Amino acid sequence: MSTRDLVLSALFAAIIVALGLLPPIMLGFIPVPITAQSMGVMLAGVILGAKRGTIAVLLVLLLAAIGLPVLSGGRGGLAVFAAPTTGFLIGWVFAAFVTGYLSERFVKNSQGAMLQTAGFFAAAVAGGVVVLYAFGISYLAVVSGLGLTKAFVGSMAFIPGDLVKAAVAALAGRAVMVGYPLLPARA
Amino acid sequence: MRSLYVEGDSRLHRLSPRIKLILLIVVSLALFLTRSPIMLGGAAFAGALLYGSLGMGWREGWLRLRPILLTIAVVALATLMLNTVEEGVVVLLRLTTLMLVAAAVTATTPVGSFIGEISSAARPFERIGLVRADDIGLAVGLVIRFVPEVVSRYEILRQAHRARGLKLRPMTVIVPLTIQTLKSADEIAAAIDARGIRGHKPPSRS
Repeated sequence: MSTRDLVLSALFAAIIVALGLLPPIMLGFIPVPITAQSMGVMLAGVILGAKRGTIAVLLVLLLAAIGLPVLSGGRGGLAVFAAPTTGFLIGWVFAAFVTGYLSERFVKNSQGAMLQTAGFFAAAVAGGVVVLYAFGISYLAVVSGLGLTKAFVGSMAFIPGDLVKAAVAALAGRAVMVGYPLLPARA
Repeated sequence: MRSLYVEGDSRLHRLSPRIKLILLIVVSLALFLTRSPIMLGGAAFAGALLYGSLGMGWREGWLRLRPILLTIAVVALATLMLNTVEEGVVVLLRLTTLMLVAAAVTATTPVGSFIGEISSAARPFERIGLVRADDIGLAVGLVIRFVPEVVSRYEILRQAHRARGLKLRPMTVIVPLTIQTLKSADEIAAAIDARGIRGHKPPSRS
């Protein structure tokens, strides 16, 4: 791994941590504030691609594990991995990887703006919603003994918010790609 | 950013981090092997005693665990209502104990010891070329160094919005924040290489 890739991953990890410290930002059209940290995971994949995005997310979790309050709401320490929602934290790693991998495949420089944004959105939904919830719900089902169906129903309330985050991540990902392209091209 | 380590000289403070982490794994496995509410209740009590003996004060100790305890309580309540009362109690006691023991390890182990432990655990992977163990500490240091920087960049963006009478929107905050931050990567990487911090071996492919 080149020094530049290492630094990019570390800087993005710092952005994800900072997104957890900042006050929630209001979207224009719905009166719900969005907490930006879980969007940072999708952004990592969309902006940095699979490898560097995954490392950025791993760094955030590593910082939390070694006792730094880097997760939103000032959470940190090994205790955060004892919650029933730990599967979502573990899922972050795979969410960033899948989002990044698919972004590298779907989005090409030759495409128009709409198509690029759509590609990023599809990647963010596949990674940041489908893969993330697969991990989160399976873990919740096992740890709580609720079973998959009930765990799924209980988690559904959060899916609309995450779809909105995927849309914002797609728009932001394309804007960053235009301003400062970093996504590795894949044939 | 202040770490969750608490100064002290308890027995747990003096134990080596490696042993603490191994004990934590053993405790978590043991907690999932038993389903007896009495045994889990005893374990939760012991966990609370352990956590309480670290000398960080009630308020601090409670504030740290409150968000995690809240999710555990919500899920335990759901289990209790949707399945059986016993299952709900088992979930509550099991996860609460695990949380207490994990928080005790965090409170008694300084960040530096954790990094040392992780780096030495990564050495075998270094030999097969998967990671460079010293990169882990370097990357962690970089993140800690740059979080305040990102926050102050956000503050500048917020003031710029205010000065122009604009509301903060995700797009108008995240995009400039990300581009500004990531643009400094080349300079930082050059500074790291110029100082030979990662050794003078030629960088690996990719």
